[in-house]
Amino acid sequence: MNARNTALVPSFQRPLSKVLIRRASDYEEDLTSVIYESLREFHLSMKDKTVLLKPNLVGLDPLGVMNTHPAVIAAARESFLRLGASQVLIGDGPAMDRDTEAIIESVCLREFVGPLARTFVDLNVDDVERVALKTQASRLKELYLPKTALGVDFLVSMPKLKTHHWAGVTLSLKNMFGVVPGSCYGWPKNILHWAGIDRAILDINAVARPDFAIVDGIVGMEGNGPIQGTPKPCGVLVLGDDPVAVDATCCRVMGFNPGRVKYLARAGTLLGHTEASKIQQHGESIASVRKPFAVPDAFRHVLE
Amino acid sequence: MGTETELRFVETICLPLLRSAQNPDGGWGFQPGSESRPEPTSWALQALIQSSWPEIPEPAARAFQFIRGTQLPNGSWPPAPGAKTGCWVTALTCWVLLAEKNSANAVAMGLDWLCKEWPRDSTPWRRVLAKFSSQRDVFPVNNSYRGWGWTPGTSSWVEPTAFALLAFGECPAELLPAAAARRRKLAELMLYDRMCPGGGWNCGNPLVYGVAGEPLVIPTVWALLALRNQPQRSENILSLDWLEKNVANMHGPGSFALARLCLEAYGRKWPSDAPDLGDFHQKNEFLRNVQIAAWISLAWRTKRHFLATQLSSTETS
Repeated sequence: MNARNTALVPSFQRPLSKVLIRRASDYEEDLTSVIYESLREFHLSMKDKTVLLKPNLVGLDPLGVMNTHPAVIAAARESFLRLGASQVLIGDGPAMDRDTEAIIESVCLREFVGPLARTFVDLNVDDVERVALKTQASRLKELYLPKTALGVDFLVSMPKLKTHHWAGVTLSLKNMFGVVPGSCYGWPKNILHWAGIDRAILDINAVARPDFAIVDGIVGMEGNGPIQGTPKPCGVLVLGDDPVAVDATCCRVMGFNPGRVKYLARAGTLLGHTEASKIQQHGESIASVRKPFAVPDAFRHVLE
Repeated sequence: MGTETELRFVETICLPLLRSAQNPDGGWGFQPGSESRPEPTSWALQALIQSSWPEIPEPAARAFQFIRGTQLPNGSWPPAPGAKTGCWVTALTCWVLLAEKNSANAVAMGLDWLCKEWPRDSTPWRRVLAKFSSQRDVFPVNNSYRGWGWTPGTSSWVEPTAFALLAFGECPAELLPAAAARRRKLAELMLYDRMCPGGGWNCGNPLVYGVAGEPLVIPTVWALLALRNQPQRSENILSLDWLEKNVANMHGPGSFALARLCLEAYGRKWPSDAPDLGDFHQKNEFLRNVQIAAWISLAWRTKRHFLATQLSSTETS
């Protein structure tokens, strides 16, 4: 395991977070330029680092509406290589279907990235390491997690901007459910549901915390997400060095109050910032890109 | 069986990969060079046994030893060596250990653990609570039908239930625990209850928020193989039709290989418009996944079907 900083720091001791919103009208745009220029604004030191991009790949998706779009993944990969990373891997552990190759082929990831045999890591079947859960928000005391996700120098969560019928929203924190290996916990990773989704999100992000988040909001999903919802064109990419702050910003873009999303409110105490006053917003203003999302009835309370 | 090209592909790509990927401890990881785990070891072992049937190949002895050595004191198997909790892998390890006489005791303990392991979502108390839950219409399934979960203390799901049924189904009567008959009956009912409305299975959610769940190839295959003693049931036929219709559009080699195993077990013809096996390998080398190489070796082979009892084409036509 490497020495990435996963220390828990109370909100009042954390520096301000920085979140950048960029417009991108569709997936045909030169997304590499957009993401590369955006990353440069964060002054990341990427030289010789190994990076893992963790997109949200939930299922067979020939129409490209439920998974992080491969154009965004490829653009992020190219951008980190340009910034000096020695290796940029892509990895996920889909939750509902163990045929990971079928999923990545259904979204045409290979066409955007090239051969995947040594670039893509199926986190469901990676070697695992036992990790004690330091937050113990859920009843889980430990989890077996993929060595690749724990060992890289820089971990990037790359979700799609979506509502979720169990968690309210699924963004960069919820996306980290995908690092929990199916080969240990099954398809779906039902143990996390029994432990409490909101609490499990905190536990996972405390030990496998993303260093950065890039949210694909070019076309999001509203309603009965994360699979059966309705496509929602929003035309944005949201990037930031604090996944909690990125998710809070995404909520505001979606017309939700992040303080009313249970897991996000808790994450704001130990893992990052949710308060608008502690997030430096760059690029487009939230108001200028705001597109209210429809939510399942059980989550109407999150609406602003 | 398969065409000459397909059989050569298995002989030159898949079986050499399996043979070279065996670790010194006798087990296999999910990829060459990765740590040995009971699940990929079970599949690699099934494939090697089948490829040299009726002989048991020499590496198999070390593999059997690895599997027996990872059994927990309560009879179950964990997903990874060192883990202290047993899981669904127990059904797979029991199944493959049936091929070795020295493992009868280990199998009996494993099956006994499976019989005692009940899903938590369907306890009598949970079923009472569910009647009053606001979520009762979200997943309208019959919780009195009970299968197996992936891990202890969770819900019934299609694949682990099918694996347990397959292990019990392949097991000689003298090794079956007394409770096995009742568990099998409940589990078969559970699988039929969880079938998607148009045929086929996904992980076990046929309907969510009133929307029909989409079936997936791998759970459909395992459910059909587990239920192959009832080939004339309309659910089986509907699901086989769905599977057959989807072969031409499969994106993953794992789904592709398992679909072939299943259709063959039911005596169905392999569709003439099925993609080429070699093309799958050219794309991503199966992501170097040992288990997928094993499934392909089982699906395209020169010897018998790895399931002891398969149906003839006349039974399902």
